[in-house]
Amino acid sequence: MGSRPCSVAAPAAPSGAAPAFLVEAPFAPSDLPSPASAERWDWLQRLRGSQLALEPWLAAIEADQLVPDSDLLAVLAPGLDGEGVVRLLRWWRSQAFGAAAADSVDFSLPQRIGRLRDPAVAAELRLALSDCPDPAIRAVLLPLLGHQRCPDDFPLLRRDALRPAAAPVRRGALEGLCLGLSAWPLAELRTTLLQLATDLDVPIASTAVDALARLPHGRGPLLSLDPRRLDAGVAARLQRRLRRLPASPLLLLVHGRAQGSIPVELESLAAQLQQRRGAPVLLRALTDPQPADLPAFDRPLWLVPLLLLPGEHVRQDLPRLRRLLQPRAGLRALPFLGSWPCWQRALAAEAGCLARDPSLAADTPTLLLHHPVSSPLARRYLGHLSAITGATCQEAAYSPEVISESLQNHRGPVLPLALAANRLTEVLTPRYGAAAAPLLSRPGLQEVLFQRLEALP
Amino acid sequence: MTDLLSEAPSAPLSRLEESKAVFCGLDLASRLDQLGRDGWEALDETTLTVHLKWLGIFFRPVTPGRFMVRLRLPNGAITADQLSLLADWVDACGEHGSADITTRQNIQLRGLLLEDMAPLLTSLEQCGLTSRQSGHDNPRNITGNPLAGIDPLEWIDTRPLVEAIQQALLGPAGPRNLPRKFNVAVGGAPDSFLLHNDLAFLPALRDGELGFTVLVGGFFSAQRNELAVPLGLWLRPEQLPTFTLAVLHHYGLHGNRAARNRSRLMYLIEALGLDAYRAALRLSHVAFGGDSAELLDHDGSHLVDRAPRDVCGVHPQKQPGLCWVGLNVPMGRLQAGTMAELAQLARRHGSGDLRFSESQNVVIADVPSERVQALLAEPLLAHFPASPGPLLAEAVSCTGNHYCGFALIPTKSTALAVVEELERRLELPEAVRTHWTGCPNACGQPYMGQIGLMGAKARKDGRMVEAAKIFLGGSMQADTRLADLHHKGVPLDDLPEVLEELLIEHFGARRRTATPSERSVSS
Repeated sequence: MGSRPCSVAAPAAPSGAAPAFLVEAPFAPSDLPSPASAERWDWLQRLRGSQLALEPWLAAIEADQLVPDSDLLAVLAPGLDGEGVVRLLRWWRSQAFGAAAADSVDFSLPQRIGRLRDPAVAAELRLALSDCPDPAIRAVLLPLLGHQRCPDDFPLLRRDALRPAAAPVRRGALEGLCLGLSAWPLAELRTTLLQLATDLDVPIASTAVDALARLPHGRGPLLSLDPRRLDAGVAARLQRRLRRLPASPLLLLVHGRAQGSIPVELESLAAQLQQRRGAPVLLRALTDPQPADLPAFDRPLWLVPLLLLPGEHVRQDLPRLRRLLQPRAGLRALPFLGSWPCWQRALAAEAGCLARDPSLAADTPTLLLHHPVSSPLARRYLGHLSAITGATCQEAAYSPEVISESLQNHRGPVLPLALAANRLTEVLTPRYGAAAAPLLSRPGLQEVLFQRLEALP
Repeated sequence: MTDLLSEAPSAPLSRLEESKAVFCGLDLASRLDQLGRDGWEALDETTLTVHLKWLGIFFRPVTPGRFMVRLRLPNGAITADQLSLLADWVDACGEHGSADITTRQNIQLRGLLLEDMAPLLTSLEQCGLTSRQSGHDNPRNITGNPLAGIDPLEWIDTRPLVEAIQQALLGPAGPRNLPRKFNVAVGGAPDSFLLHNDLAFLPALRDGELGFTVLVGGFFSAQRNELAVPLGLWLRPEQLPTFTLAVLHHYGLHGNRAARNRSRLMYLIEALGLDAYRAALRLSHVAFGGDSAELLDHDGSHLVDRAPRDVCGVHPQKQPGLCWVGLNVPMGRLQAGTMAELAQLARRHGSGDLRFSESQNVVIADVPSERVQALLAEPLLAHFPASPGPLLAEAVSCTGNHYCGFALIPTKSTALAVVEELERRLELPEAVRTHWTGCPNACGQPYMGQIGLMGAKARKDGRMVEAAKIFLGGSMQADTRLADLHHKGVPLDDLPEVLEELLIEHFGARRRTATPSERSVSS
């Protein structure tokens, strides 16, 4: 390791000739004027502008013949390759381990030479951290490891940030996570930062909140933090970060009723969402004659199809609407609501809850009533939904007679697959009362939908 | 234009010049979002450390991964809303975040991550700010009278002139690849000292008409310090943008690109001779659509006759019933909380208009007389006093070794500690301007100070310790001169005593009489 010259931009020497930098460079470590010398600055500037051969300088530092003062490091550091950084890091560690007093160690040195992102440097940092219990040294090296931005180092940084340890170590690890922010696996990073945001160490919690705000779609995770569980200063910081993450306008596409009218539950949902998000929430029914006639916004518009089945509306009307809206800059569209895994889990929970309700013929499978579908895709979806929820899916035409007939032998609970009141729920109400309420009138489902919509960017 | 191009010298380019010629850093703007998402693995060293500066983004070797962004604030003017936005960005950097008011009436933010850059630059643009071309080989922030438009003494409001020059420089005809950085300033008042700029426009009369005499070639560096010299031309205000473009275009073509330590404008002027340089500028001016005949000869006399005022304190504006209140920002260092609070004060008590001065202080403009007392009673003024001591008021400092690899001492903290200690010890008849800089690069302009201090090393008790060189005699009065070296290295521990004697000997300071309690403590 130590024998290979560690030079940068040294010109290739002609065969048989001495390398040009050895001939031309008059700069030897032994000639460096002392730090108190008036000549030192000019000398270092000339060294900086020369074809700098680093090997003699590294060797002199390693032999403790030369003190790597900050002005010298400022000249050497830009030319260091990975091997050179490794050598200086090793020299520094030997000094730090051997030092009798902490104040004799220059803890700024690793940072001054650690700018280079290089596999050899990353490996050296890992090695150093693997057998380094000294919190002061660890706290210096962890940010540099993060600066290397190797995804494999995420577990180490996460562990040191989370585990009970000296505060400087944990803060160093979190700084490492911040310096490599976009290099880490997003979901795990988000979980880690959410955990750290409730930490009792206020600087750690504050930094975690700031880092969360920088993540893609960071508004959602920030909203999931309960301010009551945060230090007051961290909670105030959370509000400041949220203020600078304005929500995008939403366009909720709903089925609607005759003549384009929109059920009151949906209007209420939109109004509450608008208040909580601080951004416009528009409602459009599929039956609206001008669904794409919308105001202009300075942020991306999110199209949210609150449709429950992959029927014709999803397969034909929705793509048509997207085409109409496409000329708008920054249109983002979500899949239809029925396909959201969180929604399906919430449906399963609701169906299970109904099935276990003793007042509704306990242990009888819930009947999931939906409007008639014809496409194979929709039928496959219903099969999937049945498997997830444990409910039996049954088609129900919207007439009292047909429904009465289809429910004749069913003693258990029913769950109408309708977000808001419609003809189906109206037909069911005389027989089932509140137990036949539409999905948005059920607290569990309402909460899931509201939370997800509130957390959208 | 073609003729001028054909005159370009063909000296070999330095390595840095070669890399600058490959592409313009402004082209990175469209990639920032992607870089933020994917990290900056794709950026080579030169792109990271050189080209990003065209967007005002500075990789800091001392804080790898934590970037600095330098804005452009023409004439040092900023609104409360703009300052609030910057405060929020600094706040998001937590303990790593801070901001510095610079000696070019500008502001630079520290502690940012590369992931911040795309949204930061977008938000700057949305509120009328930019960081474009604020670093490296570009025309830097254009300075003007910090009191422009409110100053009872001003000859002319420099704000629209500075703004027009900036528009021209950042427009399609503006320079994108200069041989070196380039400082432009416009004076509008009797205390507009601007001779440290490459190009300075000083208010001047010609046949009774108010315009500007042109001075060129001022700069400070580790190798050489020069004050600008009269070019012998006089311009009407509306000519400033085109003439500035002409100067920069000529400099871009003919400046030294082989040796960076000989590339500032003064070297080009010396190489050509002042008369030939003036003649060349006339041609360049015509190439930009100007009329050479409109560049009138002038003897270089001007209306600037005194050193810059201390902006601190309460002062009547030229608008009746309104005052400006200047606050001392110790060493120009701002934190998120103080920035947000400053913005609030400007809204609450003024019009929301703030100015930064070259002395790294801040002015709140348009405070109705009846609101002055309320403003003076604000808690922030305990930290940013309107009536600072005579040393603190005009203590100017570079960033120091916490953020800069070249600085030999922690400049800002040292300066603040020493100045506060001296003010405890001494009474001074008037303010004394101290300029503190960490290294010979002289970013803190030590040669302009009545006392200049430069980071150094010295031996004390057999050990090498942090020290400061002392320069004396800088003057920005009519008898302009640069400070000379007085002491080659005083250990920082000894600095209060040495400066105390200097202030007594040269600046009429007197030792304070110790109170009984102080005497008992010291005994």
